[in-house]
Amino acid sequence: MTGWKDIPPVPTAQEFIDIVLSRTQRRLPTQIRPGFKISRIRAFYTRKVKFTQETCSEKFGAIISSFPVLSDQHPFHRDLMNILYDADHFKVALGQISTAKNLIETISRDYVRLLKYAQSLYQCKQLKRAALGRMATLIKRLKDPLIYLDQVRQHLARLPDINPTTRTLLVAGFPNVGKSSFVRSVTRADTPVEPYAFTTKSLFVGHLDYKYLRYQVIDTPGILDHPLEEMNTIEMQSVTALAHLRAAVLYFMDISEQCGFSLKAQINLFKSIKPLFANKMVFIVLNKMDIKKFEELDPEMQQEINDLTKSGEVEILRASCATQEGVQEVKNHVCERLLVERVSQKLKAGTHSNGNIGTRLQEVMARIHVATPMDGTTRETFIPEAVKNLKKYDKNDPNRRVLARDIEEANGGAGVFNVDLRKDWILENPEWKYDKIPEIFDGKNVYDYIDPDIDAKLQALEEEEERLEKEGFYDEDDDLPDEEEEEILQKAEYIREQHALIRNEAKMRKSLKNRAIIPRKAVKKPLSQLEDHLDQLGVDTEAIGLRARAQTAQSSRGRSLVRSRGTTADPDAMDIDDGAASAKERLARSRSRARSVAATNRLQDGVQGTTLRSKAERQAKLAQRKMNRMARQGEADRHIHASMPKHLFSGKRTIGKTDRR
Amino acid sequence: MRIENCFFCGRPAWPSKGITFMRNDGKAFRFCRSKCHKNFKMKRNPRKLKWTKAYRKNAGKEMVVDSTLQFAARRNVPVRYNRELWQKTLKAMERISEIRARRERVFYKKRMAGKRAREVAAARKLVAENEHLLPRLRGSEKRRLAELAAERGVDVEELEREELAKLASKKKSKAFGGEVRRVRVRTDGGVEEITESFGGKNVDEEMDDDDHDDSDRDDDDMDTD
Repeated sequence: MTGWKDIPPVPTAQEFIDIVLSRTQRRLPTQIRPGFKISRIRAFYTRKVKFTQETCSEKFGAIISSFPVLSDQHPFHRDLMNILYDADHFKVALGQISTAKNLIETISRDYVRLLKYAQSLYQCKQLKRAALGRMATLIKRLKDPLIYLDQVRQHLARLPDINPTTRTLLVAGFPNVGKSSFVRSVTRADTPVEPYAFTTKSLFVGHLDYKYLRYQVIDTPGILDHPLEEMNTIEMQSVTALAHLRAAVLYFMDISEQCGFSLKAQINLFKSIKPLFANKMVFIVLNKMDIKKFEELDPEMQQEINDLTKSGEVEILRASCATQEGVQEVKNHVCERLLVERVSQKLKAGTHSNGNIGTRLQEVMARIHVATPMDGTTRETFIPEAVKNLKKYDKNDPNRRVLARDIEEANGGAGVFNVDLRKDWILENPEWKYDKIPEIFDGKNVYDYIDPDIDAKLQALEEEEERLEKEGFYDEDDDLPDEEEEEILQKAEYIREQHALIRNEAKMRKSLKNRAIIPRKAVKKPLSQLEDHLDQLGVDTEAIGLRARAQTAQSSRGRSLVRSRGTTADPDAMDIDDGAASAKERLARSRSRARSVAATNRLQDGVQGTTLRSKAERQAKLAQRKMNRMARQGEADRHIHASMPKHLFSGKRTIGKTDRR
Repeated sequence: MRIENCFFCGRPAWPSKGITFMRNDGKAFRFCRSKCHKNFKMKRNPRKLKWTKAYRKNAGKEMVVDSTLQFAARRNVPVRYNRELWQKTLKAMERISEIRARRERVFYKKRMAGKRAREVAAARKLVAENEHLLPRLRGSEKRRLAELAAERGVDVEELEREELAKLASKKKSKAFGGEVRRVRVRTDGGVEEITESFGGKNVDEEMDDDDHDDSDRDDDDMDTD
């Protein structure tokens, strides 16, 4: 039955043509010009024809292979399909499609051959048109088979999934005797139940569980008692099921004759379809017993029904689907019998004629082995004596056992009482239970040092200590600090300090601090500084100072009291080599001046004459007037800029920079 | 309750101090202070930071191999409380820490063995190269001494030498007067207290250069240890 549900839809002839042609159009190149090389044009159209043919073949092939092959099916399915769809018709339809496939291949071959001789684009195109047209015509002729196959596909998809090999109960009987009601009440299937004949027009399948096994219940349409040739499609389905399924047959009878058919007819039907029951278990279910009991029948009929069971393979069961009376019993009985029957059949099939069990059966039997104690003893549950003697706890008994809960109550109840955990400690000496145990000692965790063989280890340590002592490990060699070394160290310390001072000074000198860099030559140094420096270096500066001061005093005002420089009686005077001084040097010295003066007076620059000068001044004043009147800030005003302009430092910053806003 | 060691710096972290980080694989990291925690979060390697125990141990600055260090260990074998054992253990702990302190002292001494020689050598070199920076007598001072010598009839050079020695011995003392008490641990484990006094007045006198006359001043405060 597999694969019947998912047969892809079969397109109609027109749809088929559309699919094939549009695919050719979409998948292949469409640009072609008469100016192209003829071989290229031919290839272009050949490809079109071939591609169309390939698509057709592929599609037809898919349709043919998607339908089941009748000869491969189980006889039940084969017959069922024969009845439902007419095997001949089905085969013819598939045959037509396969023929069409072959014909299209021939057409394509022919036209590809012709295309080889085409001389122009026009010829090629006409040939292609002819080929595709013929193919389309062929497909158009397949209109009916395609429609038929699509219907078959739809019907097949809706057929119930009947497994012919599993445990099966087959419900059969006259129309309207309560077959569907029975299936409805024992399974989860929702079979339609209506009070008219032939409510069930096809096979229905329901499933039920009995002893953890799944059973398949097949509800069949009613059968009328007439020859096989006269039976219609609906009845034939029942017959097919009866003929091919190895199942337990439940033949339903309505002894109340409410179904509209006489009991006689029902018995006759049973007799006439009896050949179909060969090798099957058959049960006659007398339904509707709530209306008429078997005992209420006239004895003749009773006798006749009993006769049916004479062969020994038929049993009579009673049920009422309306009141559910006996329904479950019927179900259980039948399932049980079927199970036993199938197991015994399997055993028989697995056993060779000489009585040996086949390997496959052995495997199955090994799997269902249940182990029991070897010596055949029975193992009782073990209950300790103390538990057996335990008195049942009774809340109201004054001599009852004392529970922890009672202790809690006696000591203040929940929230007040604290459980004494130390009580249950197991120690070597019960006196130790309430010792205060140190956790931390001397900044160390006591528990880290807890070691059962601490004695031995400490002993070893002491021994090691003694040994080290002996070896002179702890001997101190206190060499007293040397006098000379101390001095050197002190000196070094002093030098380091000096270094630091020098470094600091240099740093200070170097840092600009908003000052202009003045060349060393231009920096004025007072005499005192020079004196101090020289003094520090150990030079006696008294004489130098005296001389320098005498000089400055002399040059300051009036004529020198000394006759000439050459005759100065100062012994400490600097020796000046007159002759060696170059002319340039002398010039430079003579041109010395007190302070630097700009080359031109900028106040006077660019303004000639006093009239112009006063005019300029007036204009400057005028320009300033407005500014002054409005108390505006001019460029000469002192202004302190905001160190953190608000517009640059506030607000959200997602992208961009702070200074780009 | 137990004293955990800081995961980062190795300092003991007492109960209620520091913070514990529990990684999602169950490993606990105890930090003694936020400094360690922050450094850990910055993924710094404690072995590369000089202030951690890990660095000091790694760089051989601390005693790592010793029998006294093997007593404290987390043994994952629970021992039932036993009063005698606990008493013995407490005594042993004291003794062990005593021995350990002694050995650490020796370790430190050994580690510092060549230090002074190196320092002195460096100082010698420095002094030799920077002789010109050493204190000198000012020119004016020299003249004054010459005058003094002429007046007293003493050798000038001797006076100058004296004066220089005074200059050189002038050292800034940081502690200004009072008493400094220090505890020194001897190698035998004993502890002795050393008291040193600093004469505040003496330093004062030294500061003003005017009274040169008291040439005999006590050198107590200048000696270095």
